[in-house]
Amino acid sequence: MPLTHPKAPSMATLACLQFALSTLRTTHHAVPAITHITRRNASHQAQGRANGAKDGAGKRLGAKKTGGEYVVPGNILFRQRGTHWFPGDNCFMGRDHTIHAGSPGYVRYYQDPARHPKRKFIGIVFEKTQSLPQPTHAARRRQLGMLAYQMPTPPQPETTPDEHSAAPTKSRDGTTVSIRNSKMNPGGLQLTLGPGYQYRQSNYEIGRSGDKKEAAANAKGKTIRAFAKFKPGDRFAAWRKSVVRVARSRERKVMGRGGKGGAKKKG
Amino acid sequence: MTLQRASRPVAQCIRQSSSTLHARTLATTTIEPSSTDAAPPPPSDPFSHTRNPFTASTPAAEKQLAQQKQRPVGSRRRRAALSSTTQIPFTQLPYQAFQEARAFLQEDRREKLEAIGLQRVKLVRLQDQVVVGEQDGEVERRKQREKDNRVRSMGRRLEEMKVMADINDPMVKKKFEDGQGDMTKPIYRHLADAQWRSYKRQILVQRLTQMNVIPDVLPALEPIVSTGLAFPTTSSTTPARSRLKRVQHGDFVSSTLSSQPPTLWIQPYNKGTRLCTVAVVNPDVPNVEKDGFDHRCHFLAVNIPISPINTRVRLGELGSTSENKGDVLLPWLPAYAQKGAPYQRMSIIVLEQPSPTLTPILTTLLGAVAESQELDAESASQDPRYNVRDGFNLRSFVDRYGLKAVGADLFRTKWDEGTAGVMQQAGIVGWDVEFRRKRVEPLPYQRKASERYR
Repeated sequence: MPLTHPKAPSMATLACLQFALSTLRTTHHAVPAITHITRRNASHQAQGRANGAKDGAGKRLGAKKTGGEYVVPGNILFRQRGTHWFPGDNCFMGRDHTIHAGSPGYVRYYQDPARHPKRKFIGIVFEKTQSLPQPTHAARRRQLGMLAYQMPTPPQPETTPDEHSAAPTKSRDGTTVSIRNSKMNPGGLQLTLGPGYQYRQSNYEIGRSGDKKEAAANAKGKTIRAFAKFKPGDRFAAWRKSVVRVARSRERKVMGRGGKGGAKKKG
Repeated sequence: MTLQRASRPVAQCIRQSSSTLHARTLATTTIEPSSTDAAPPPPSDPFSHTRNPFTASTPAAEKQLAQQKQRPVGSRRRRAALSSTTQIPFTQLPYQAFQEARAFLQEDRREKLEAIGLQRVKLVRLQDQVVVGEQDGEVERRKQREKDNRVRSMGRRLEEMKVMADINDPMVKKKFEDGQGDMTKPIYRHLADAQWRSYKRQILVQRLTQMNVIPDVLPALEPIVSTGLAFPTTSSTTPARSRLKRVQHGDFVSSTLSSQPPTLWIQPYNKGTRLCTVAVVNPDVPNVEKDGFDHRCHFLAVNIPISPINTRVRLGELGSTSENKGDVLLPWLPAYAQKGAPYQRMSIIVLEQPSPTLTPILTTLLGAVAESQELDAESASQDPRYNVRDGFNLRSFVDRYGLKAVGADLFRTKWDEGTAGVMQQAGIVGWDVEFRRKRVEPLPYQRKASERYR
């Protein structure tokens, strides 16, 4: 018999297949069921909200010191929700927008269009005759509020450090301390105290150490490079160099290029 | 890559016929090479020992450039592109739309140059006009004032036109962005001024107003000149080599660093040399008797010449060398803040000395330099109000000598480990004084009977 093209299945075959598949089907929904819309009847109209928020006790907000009253630092001047009033001169605001006095003086309620066109401020003046806002372009009124005392143990003035002293030396800008000669630092490196309370060489110094050594060797007419001069045609030297390079790159891959990676890869 | 390959034959063609370039253009109008069309950087010779700052892009090349004490010009990407692509000058790139645009801009520039010439002629003619009044009084004075106003506005318009003539030139923009702009030319001054005003000046004004330098030291200050400040650091290992540590506006500076007089850079953006006064005022000196703060002057110098190209002022060497001209009235006093006192603001105010009334008009006409009046340093040093540091009133000083505040800088100082040493070395009394807050009596309140409620 000659080979013919596979023909499409007949209608009878399709109907049999469909019947077989329909018996195997688990769900029988062809159309989604119409859900019933829930309705709540107002059967308890008078009671209304059974679990709603009730009006609580009054929080005694508002002004606690009137304008012109004498206050000391810390006194509460105004209790509020949000900032109906803003802290002005010599006043500060707490975490719940309560305005406190920052210095001893007399309370003033005022507006300062130069500072903000709409806001209202509460400030403190030092004398009863003064008023707020302060005149623009004038030097501000400020109070020191401190007294001078003799220091109980005066600080020792700094002496110029000896090059070979064991004591820690200050760095150039006088902010960090470094160790030069000690048992812990036999190499005589400049170790400075960094964040985390660790005495270490700074990163740029570590980075430059190679260049510095090369420069020092160059000054003597030498070099620290293993293969100083390129000899074209020397395959043995080229092979030795490539062996070293491949080993170094393999090590770098294993160690990771700083931070997490390499050895700590996910399995 | 394809663009490079495609343009290679064209590039070769142009290179070969570079002498006849002007005859063989792609535009309908002739193209003249602009004066700012710099020659392209030569291709880097692999065996040369000097590096080209335009084409050094590899880390090794940049290191060698640093050893030559040169800075690379432009971004690394640009330097890599310049070193790897063909060397055609930017203005000779063979794209028709580009060359047509260039021709259009050059035509516009020619028109503007003609207008500048006309404006100059008009200005001279206006200045030659003589004001005649019927009465020797108000009418003549009014007419003279109007003439002066017209001359001034024409002068301003002339300066604007000079900037407009060059502002569309891409080579000018490139030169400026590479840091090679010549500050004697108005266009580069204009671009530098615009760059300063877009960011750094806003930062400066924010620091001055937020830290209240403006109402406390001076009533108002609009910075016109940009300032930069740096203190010399001396390392114990190499005392001969002192470097400069830059200080941003409003930074805290340690007392050991500010014990040495700093270097101040003052960059004006209008032409000419003018004489300036520099005053360093500390408005936060604690005064326990009056329960307030005093002003102290840490430095005062007059007659310092400043120009767009001479901007560096070494406050420690003023008057001693020929490069640093100026008369020092009060030498540098280290900044210090005693223990417990709040931080102290050290404001550096740059004041321009007045110029005689006649010369502003001549300045616009002839391009001449406005001569600032020299302040009499001898008489100023004799004046009891201004030769003492404590209680120095800068507002009074400015009014007395008719100065105008043109620039400012700011740094802050507070107590640190080195302050005591600095104060002792400078011979300042009070290095062992500390400030503590005054105890304020609490307001009386009704106390309840029980001890529990004390």
